[in-house]
Amino acid sequence: MPEIRPVTAQDLPAIALLFQRLLRSEGVELNALADYMKTLFLEGPNYDPDLPSKVHVRDDGTVSGFFGIFPLVMEYAGKTMRAAVCGTFMVEAREDDPFAGARLLRDVLAGPQDLSFTETSNDLATALWRRVNGHVLPDYSLEWLRILRPASFVADRAAERVPAARLITPLLRPFDALAQRRKSNWMGYVPEASRADAFSDADVSEDEAAELIPTFLRQFALRPQWDAERLRYMLAEARQKALHGERVLRVVRARSNGAPVGLYLYYGDAGRLGRVVQILSLPGREGTVIDRMLNHADSRNMPALRGRTQPALLSAMMGRKIAFVHASSTIVHSRHPELMEAFTSGRAFINGLAGEGWTRLIGDRFA
Amino acid sequence: MMGHTGTETMIDDIRTPIRAFIVENFLFGDESQPLPDDMSLIDNDLVDSTGILELVGFIEKEFGLKVEDREIVPANLDSLARIVAYIDGKRAH
Repeated sequence: MPEIRPVTAQDLPAIALLFQRLLRSEGVELNALADYMKTLFLEGPNYDPDLPSKVHVRDDGTVSGFFGIFPLVMEYAGKTMRAAVCGTFMVEAREDDPFAGARLLRDVLAGPQDLSFTETSNDLATALWRRVNGHVLPDYSLEWLRILRPASFVADRAAERVPAARLITPLLRPFDALAQRRKSNWMGYVPEASRADAFSDADVSEDEAAELIPTFLRQFALRPQWDAERLRYMLAEARQKALHGERVLRVVRARSNGAPVGLYLYYGDAGRLGRVVQILSLPGREGTVIDRMLNHADSRNMPALRGRTQPALLSAMMGRKIAFVHASSTIVHSRHPELMEAFTSGRAFINGLAGEGWTRLIGDRFA
Repeated sequence: MMGHTGTETMIDDIRTPIRAFIVENFLFGDESQPLPDDMSLIDNDLVDSTGILELVGFIEKEFGLKVEDREIVPANLDSLARIVAYIDGKRAH
């Protein structure tokens, strides 16, 4: 009889191999990946024996599936809530056991947690979640894209398939300059005088960011209860990714008194699409933080920024020439109606650091 | 005169709604397709992990049963006959 049980260190080589086969197009060094998975799922702040990651094991003892879980303590109405952040979900050999994925998902959702959510569910996994009363959250499920240099953006996208395309990027600058002069065009970016000029932004240390982040979360009815140690751990992990370019972590402050009003974290290099992990702000300062971030990316000659939507940011994103597309879904499952309402009304803080976007599983090479 | 025994009637009480569910959800309402009791739903690409969760949800709601995760296996749910036998067995216990 197939079995679902908590992951052990002995399972990790097989899980790394599954990850390589099912989720990565390029090669990874399996020992390095397995070692990282050990630190991520079996050690440190992400290991909770009561809320473990799970493996699906065939009759012959071989691992055929894995569900990576990150325990997260959250706060709602003064009460502590236990969340399972559902990360890597993979099952193979559906021919010999086509129901393995269904059993694995049901097993995880039946755990002791108050709520479960995933932020990167593909269409197949989303169909499974829907069948077990998972609720897709449209406002959390969109990818946003702000093009700063349209010609360079096209070249960067082409370079994903044909690396030599990046060589023509310098030749495209006149076209980008032309797009920037046509202010009516929804593409292109021109730094203009705005309220954001009353604020400045500067690099911030992980220690300082870890102290600041909780102050930006108080506006959310349901929010992570991170301590500084946990945040420092996640920020240090996020620093090590190799595939998405330099990590940029900056705080936005009022010029008048130096008070912090927001923070952003993204990856990217000149000529390459930047990936935003997190935008945080005080209520009402979302647009300011977005403007400072776009200005910073523009100053580094980046062609575009992309990220994941959060309801608190959507209003500020209107009018800033940002495009939206659905690529994967954020889904929540809970037996508590008040928690579901916090999500559907956009008063819950998830995605990015409250997800799996900070882990090296997304965006590191393991080569 | 032929008649149904009590057991046959109980089995029909299970088979009829399950068959209707399969036709509606996995055959998209196409009554013309054959659905023999022993036809494998997996081998005929009628059900996958997503479909099985739909079927399990239906069984739990329609028959008031709790389907355990370990019971979601082809041996219990891969054909109309197996599904009926599984539900009948659960009811007996």
